[in-house]
Amino acid sequence: MLGLDDCLTEVMAIPGALDAMLVDQTSGMAVAISGPPHGVDAESSAAALTETLRATMDGLARSCPGETVRIDDMLVTTDKGHHLLRFLETVFEGPLVIYLRLDLERSNLALARYRLLNISRQLLA
Amino acid sequence: MAPLDTLLAGLAREHATGALRVGRAGTIFLSEGRVTYMECAQTPGVERLLAARGRLPEAALRRLQADGGCKRLLEEGPVTLGELQYCVLGAVLDAAFFLLPVGGTRPKFRPGEQHWLGGQWYFDVAGLMRECARRRAYLAQIWPSAQLDTAPVRPAPWLPGSRVTLDSVQWEVVTGAGAEATPLDLARRIGRSGYSVLLAVRRMAAAGLLAPPVEPTTTTRAPEESATKAGEHRAKTAGGGQGALPQRGRGAAAQRPPHDPRAPGLPLGPPVTADPTDLALLMRLKKALEELT
Repeated sequence: MLGLDDCLTEVMAIPGALDAMLVDQTSGMAVAISGPPHGVDAESSAAALTETLRATMDGLARSCPGETVRIDDMLVTTDKGHHLLRFLETVFEGPLVIYLRLDLERSNLALARYRLLNISRQLLA
Repeated sequence: MAPLDTLLAGLAREHATGALRVGRAGTIFLSEGRVTYMECAQTPGVERLLAARGRLPEAALRRLQADGGCKRLLEEGPVTLGELQYCVLGAVLDAAFFLLPVGGTRPKFRPGEQHWLGGQWYFDVAGLMRECARRRAYLAQIWPSAQLDTAPVRPAPWLPGSRVTLDSVQWEVVTGAGAEATPLDLARRIGRSGYSVLLAVRRMAAAGLLAPPVEPTTTTRAPEESATKAGEHRAKTAGGGQGALPQRGRGAAAQRPPHDPRAPGLPLGPPVTADPTDLALLMRLKKALEELT
């Protein structure tokens, strides 16, 4: 069985992975961190990512009225790389979010999404 | 009397293993100086969360606790390792948020004692304190007044506009709120962390979705009827009498209260008022203390 820490190890094994983080969406807390810190404060970046996700969900709720918004994953591509976020719904709290930063040249987005889906299935049955 | 956080920091330095019982408020379990589990009487624990969210009835959990423990829970229970770790993580941080500001009770440390769900996640004591402080600041940023945290949640009977967006916890708060349940009552009932319900309630307050709070004299459930009557009487004379002290109108409550980053943590027990019954209690306490010395 996959624990939260092992899950990040698996995530970092995805080709082109630069760094990864597990974020608790409710509180905006970094649950686990992996990869080189390179001057990034994990706590504040987790909190900032949470706000981004909140804003996205609010925006989607407004743009598709009459629907319950349920995000599976989210992709942001910048000139430096891809940022992939996978939402894991749990019954008691959350969602728990896997955040993965990918190298623009060395990564394969389709593969990364597929691997993240698999990892999330192993993590939460 | 050392505050709880100093005591905990000391235990962390000594790499202590055991349980620190904080009166009836809760218990902190440590293993080699790191927190493995924390219980708080005010917040739902892992058992309550799993039961309230329909994962496993509490009776089944008690059976597992008595026989087989955590290992068996993972082997045959409907919870995966990842879920259990996440659940423990959430419950411990939630308990820490409400338990650590507690002072005054004399904590007792029992070496060697462990919780049956401990060992799923290890919390470094300094990190735990930092996270609690961050959460407190975040709460104040959304809606600065802590008054809502202990008062009954009363959603506004009508919307200030024509349409709103609610998140899942807010939805559960709206459907679960009666006129009496406080945020922490709701948290235990719906099986959400106390902090997530506080967040939901404060966000709803910021969006104007809550009914304006009732004046403190009438919100407290006074043990004697005469006390409430006196309160009503006071309110009437203050409102009607000329030259009386200016009283805050109901409309003022809808405005955002001033920001206070150093606002004290949640009070334990009933809210303090200028109620004569409280004064009587204080006098009795004073007398008892004088007799002690």
